[in-house]
Amino acid sequence: MYNLKELALMDENGKRSDGRGMDELRSIKITVGVVKNADGSAYIEFGKNKIIVAVYGPREVHPKHMALPDRCVLRCRYHMSPFSTDTRKNPAPSRREVEISKVMRESLEPSLILSDYPRAVIDVFVEVLQADGGSRCAGINAASVALADAGINMRDLVSACAAGRLSDNIVLDINDLEDKEGDADMPVAYLPNLEQVTLLQLDGKLTTAQFSECLEKAISGCKSVYEIQKEALMKKYFGNEMELKEEA
Amino acid sequence: MQEIKRRYVIPGDKIIEGNYKPLMNVVKSGNYLVSTRVGIAEAGKDGVKVIPLSGVYIPRVNDLVIGKIIDRSSLSWDVDINACFFAHLPAQDVFGRDFSPAKDDMGRQLSIGDLIIARIVSFDRTRDPMLTVQDKDLGKIPYGEFIKISPTRVPRLIGKRGSMIQTIEQATQTRVIIGQNGIVVVTGRDPDGLSLAAKAIKMVEEESHTTNLTQRVKSLLNVQDPVDPEQPESMNTSSTTESATPPQPTTESATPPQPTTESATESATPPQPTTESAAPNNSKSSSSSKEKHRNDNSEKSSNNDSNSDQKEKKQE
Repeated sequence: MYNLKELALMDENGKRSDGRGMDELRSIKITVGVVKNADGSAYIEFGKNKIIVAVYGPREVHPKHMALPDRCVLRCRYHMSPFSTDTRKNPAPSRREVEISKVMRESLEPSLILSDYPRAVIDVFVEVLQADGGSRCAGINAASVALADAGINMRDLVSACAAGRLSDNIVLDINDLEDKEGDADMPVAYLPNLEQVTLLQLDGKLTTAQFSECLEKAISGCKSVYEIQKEALMKKYFGNEMELKEEA
Repeated sequence: MQEIKRRYVIPGDKIIEGNYKPLMNVVKSGNYLVSTRVGIAEAGKDGVKVIPLSGVYIPRVNDLVIGKIIDRSSLSWDVDINACFFAHLPAQDVFGRDFSPAKDDMGRQLSIGDLIIARIVSFDRTRDPMLTVQDKDLGKIPYGEFIKISPTRVPRLIGKRGSMIQTIEQATQTRVIIGQNGIVVVTGRDPDGLSLAAKAIKMVEEESHTTNLTQRVKSLLNVQDPVDPEQPESMNTSSTTESATPPQPTTESATPPQPTTESATESATPPQPTTESAAPNNSKSSSSSKEKHRNDNSEKSSNNDSNSDQKEKKQE
């Protein structure tokens, strides 16, 4: 007997609902420096996700009592536009958005050298224009690139990617349908050069072996995303020249 | 020390392995030196550094900056210096030690919206930058065209020993005042020269990391000959050539109120910028400031006296 849910999410050839293989990322496109008024910005298309991120700072903290004497404050705001989902999303910050703002801030913080900017603040605004599952990962990727564009001292870029379980199969980069109908979803943010995990969430159930496989797969996805982030930054600052030619 | 080739880096990129000294925008991670910014990595005898291509201005003591007066309290002005903190310019710095908030009208010297060129006298992690205008060429900037560039492009705009900025100044017959904070003010009589200088400055900003930039700037400015090495060098690395007029020190701001400098149209018909007689009532203001400073035994008065004396001599 067919399991209808399984049939919808994966066919007998191992192809997923959107035609991808199990270890295949959605198409990713990153553009750097799209908001002129911001100190740093980036636009990402992660599958059907469309997200714009603007970074302001380091700048004066308002209200002043929030300032920290020894380091910079990082503020992060994740917001979904009312038109980003099928049915209108109330623009007021929801419980989910407040939570995602917090986890995004915590995943970006380890990559920043905040002690270089005492008594200042860095504001990161993440605006989701179109959502299709995995928007927090896409937001983290764009935010990291925007922070680098703003010229803030960073130990490493942050790359994020989710992995999950569809029945017995561990798959990379969960989309909206798989997130809702699948069995587990695990977003991971990772510092590729330092090899450190800065975000790990899990919604669903995994055995120990499945957990290890899922984490491994998510990290490999993060490494692929990192190459795209790197390319986007290089393109903005150095054009198509990847190697420096000395001036005569 | 083994030399490494200059190369493009982004945050997290490993620059070199080994026991090198991290200088600027570089951190140690294990046995590697890692870049913290997007920029160009290079190693010298002293260590490894990354020349950043983006970022806001972080104040440093002794930097010359151009700032805009944004607020005034009874004892000081607040100045926006395009950094993460507002700077303070104490009223005593302008009026002298005998400044009295009750007697002296601060609005007479500097009003909100005025541009000043100032030096940072103190700044550290615990307090906001403090400015001074008590030096030659510092003070209010009466007119000019205001251009904002990325602070990271300032060294490229100045060029090696001021070569780039000299090229622009000579080709366009303008005077360019550069603040380390990325604010540039261009003054000159010829509107075409002003717009050409602005165009060249923008070009340097946008293409600062590319090769043969000097040649491209020269071709934009229609400069054929190489820069004459006999030409006087910049007064300092972040300011101007000797032939240009220094801005009026604030102690002499009895000059007629000049329009604020942000409007490009206003800069088209400025008073004569290339000679010391830029301010029509210079002699009057000089003598009045001299009198004032004679009564003042403070150290700064001697600076201003010498300033005034120089101006008088030149006028003669």
